[in-house]
Amino acid sequence: MTREEILQSFLADELFSESNYLARSEASKFRWATNSPIKLIEVLKVAIDGEISGESQAITERKINTYLNSQQ
Amino acid sequence: MILQNIELNNFMCYAGNNKFEFTEGINIIIGDNGYGKSKLYDAFYWVMYDRCFDTRKKDFLPTNTLKKHLISDKALNETSDGFVTASVILTFHNIEKNSVYIIERRYKVRKDGTEIYEDRESEEIIKIKDLAYLNAREITDPVQITSIKKAILPDNIKPYMWFQGEQIEQIIDFNKDNTLTQAINVLSNISKYDNLIALASSLKDSASKEYQKKQRDLSGDKAKSESLELQRSKLEENIKALQLQDLQIKDNLATAEEKSENLLNKIADATKIRELEERKKAIQRNLQDAQEEFQEEQLSLHKRMFTNKWILKGTEVLFAKYSDVYNQFEQKKLIRKAEMQVRKDAEMELNKAMFQLPIDVPEPIHLENMLEMQHCLVCDRTAPKDSKEWLSMKSLLDRSREKITAIEDEDQTMHDFSFDLKKLYHTGLALSHQIPNIDDDIKSVFRKLRRLDKRRKTLSEDYQAVDAEINTLIVNSSLNLSQATNILNEYAAQNDLTKRSQREVDANAHIITKKALELSGIEAQLSNLVTGEIPAYLTDKLKVLTEFKNVTESTRKRVFHGLVTMLEQEANKHYGEMMQGNLGTRGLIKFKQLSNEKNYMPELVDENGNVLLQLNMGNIILIKLATIMAIISARQGSIATDLYTLITDAPTSVFGEDYTIGFCKTVSKVYRQSIIMSKEFYKNTALRSQLLLDSDVRLGKVYMITPSIPETERSNRNSLSTLITPLN
Repeated sequence: MTREEILQSFLADELFSESNYLARSEASKFRWATNSPIKLIEVLKVAIDGEISGESQAITERKINTYLNSQQ
Repeated sequence: MILQNIELNNFMCYAGNNKFEFTEGINIIIGDNGYGKSKLYDAFYWVMYDRCFDTRKKDFLPTNTLKKHLISDKALNETSDGFVTASVILTFHNIEKNSVYIIERRYKVRKDGTEIYEDRESEEIIKIKDLAYLNAREITDPVQITSIKKAILPDNIKPYMWFQGEQIEQIIDFNKDNTLTQAINVLSNISKYDNLIALASSLKDSASKEYQKKQRDLSGDKAKSESLELQRSKLEENIKALQLQDLQIKDNLATAEEKSENLLNKIADATKIRELEERKKAIQRNLQDAQEEFQEEQLSLHKRMFTNKWILKGTEVLFAKYSDVYNQFEQKKLIRKAEMQVRKDAEMELNKAMFQLPIDVPEPIHLENMLEMQHCLVCDRTAPKDSKEWLSMKSLLDRSREKITAIEDEDQTMHDFSFDLKKLYHTGLALSHQIPNIDDDIKSVFRKLRRLDKRRKTLSEDYQAVDAEINTLIVNSSLNLSQATNILNEYAAQNDLTKRSQREVDANAHIITKKALELSGIEAQLSNLVTGEIPAYLTDKLKVLTEFKNVTESTRKRVFHGLVTMLEQEANKHYGEMMQGNLGTRGLIKFKQLSNEKNYMPELVDENGNVLLQLNMGNIILIKLATIMAIISARQGSIATDLYTLITDAPTSVFGEDYTIGFCKTVSKVYRQSIIMSKEFYKNTALRSQLLLDSDVRLGKVYMITPSIPETERSNRNSLSTLITPLN
């Protein structure tokens, strides 16, 4: 599976439409390269990227924490 | 990657140099049991993994355990001194790179007279040959060797591509919770989702701790905060323990459900076995009765000669003759009687006359008087008693009496059978009336005998049919009679356990909900104690990471379920194809998720979703084979470049000849190349012809293998080799 496919599988979750992050139609059109203001999507991208590239969990955690802490 | 050929030199029963060429499509090696099919499978496996399958231990043993057993006995026997080497070479064609991989494994021993010195390890030689060049280049870099082997057959694919028929059970073992997960991993790396869940959980936990620390720092009542945090910590531990307990109960519930499902299938078989057994007993009783009656009838046939007077059959002439003779006898008897009477009458008359004549003979009364007086009045002389004269007078008196008595005695001394003969005549007369009915009686008795014999045979056939049905059921359901009897109780027990576990799950869920509410209350109290403001980024971070955790869990579940559905659809496609032309239980395969949400049970359902019971071993193996094919075909659908060769030994032996052609058709569709060892085409020549002529089977090469000496005629293997005959 590519990172794009994995991301799509997450975006298909009901949580995105229920939380008004993305409508179902938008989710299917969403591309990896798109920068999203939705933090959950950006977190998912960092996590997927880390998983696909085989980096350690600790490094990915640090990247996500850094991203979320920088949003203050 | 296409496997072009395999060369075997002095490997096990393949003495000397042997080679099989293969093409795309389904390549089939045909041979009976003990002809070398499994040894060929061993050869493939040995080259790649330095191990061979041990059927007794049901495991793959390494070279350093097998040692000289890898070498042909014939080759060992024919060498008195020096080295003897077994080697197998596989040649793969990498179509994408237009190159050839040559993988060779060798093992040698040194023979010194009767002594054999075995090498500990085998030797592996891997060469790569670019088809544009003539020479092959040997690869020595372990990393490159691993990479080539992975290209030939990746580890995660291996269990579904190279397997022994008897391994199918273990490859897809639905009782193990990781079976489908492993299969799903081959389709789409679901473990990535598991890793993301682990990441999200860890991030959420650390964010929670960070948030709680901030809450504590900003608390207006630190002592109360500490107390509440302690309570929260205890509650969290409590909830974790309950959740763990919940998982364990659900595992128990899933096990009980599985057992109930299995028993439910078996219950139908068990009930049928019991019903058939009762029917068998009833038939047996009837058969015994019929048998006894038949034997009795047969034994009483000779008695009927007398009891039913069959002996008289054809004696009408005899009776007629006897009747004539008897009539003649009666007439003669009457004539004789009349003659006697005449003689007697004549004597009486004579007597009378004698008393009158001659004149000088006195009347008897005078004779008696004279005898008494002892004086003859005729001649007037004395006749003293017992004197000559006295006796002479007396004889005159006795003569007539003696004569009549003699005639009467003659009549009486004659043997008179007239009574017996008359009785015989009357008996004969009575019996002669019955003679015309004898034929009808004989016919009727023989009709009865034939009827009894027919009934006996029908009952015997019924008995055999029921017995065969019971045996088939016993084999298919792996149940013996006593097990069949006990199953009902076991099913009831498992059902009780299921209900009990379900009640425990419900009760546990209720407690967890209650504890979670308490936890929320404590969280609220802690929030209320905060004086000041928790930084927005921290609240936001916790919210995002909580959502991250939730979304990874739910997505994993959804993706997994989707893949199971896809696997189910693919498996059904292959199952349907394999079942084509067969009247056995069809249905659709359904992977039913059990209560612990980890294990799956295969079910066969009808179009309306009703579960079809009575899954026998053949059905289960077909479902498993269909699932194995589904894993590969679903994967090929997503990754077009994947191409691996299916190599399997006797995969069809469990479900029999009826499904073999269907299996071959399906395999030739699913796999670009496959190599199947099969005995089904050996004895069944019609099936073999069908295989060779059926255009729906994408056929590669077909070989027949036969040992140089049949197993039954072998006292040892010292001259054993294997003959390879191409059939197309």
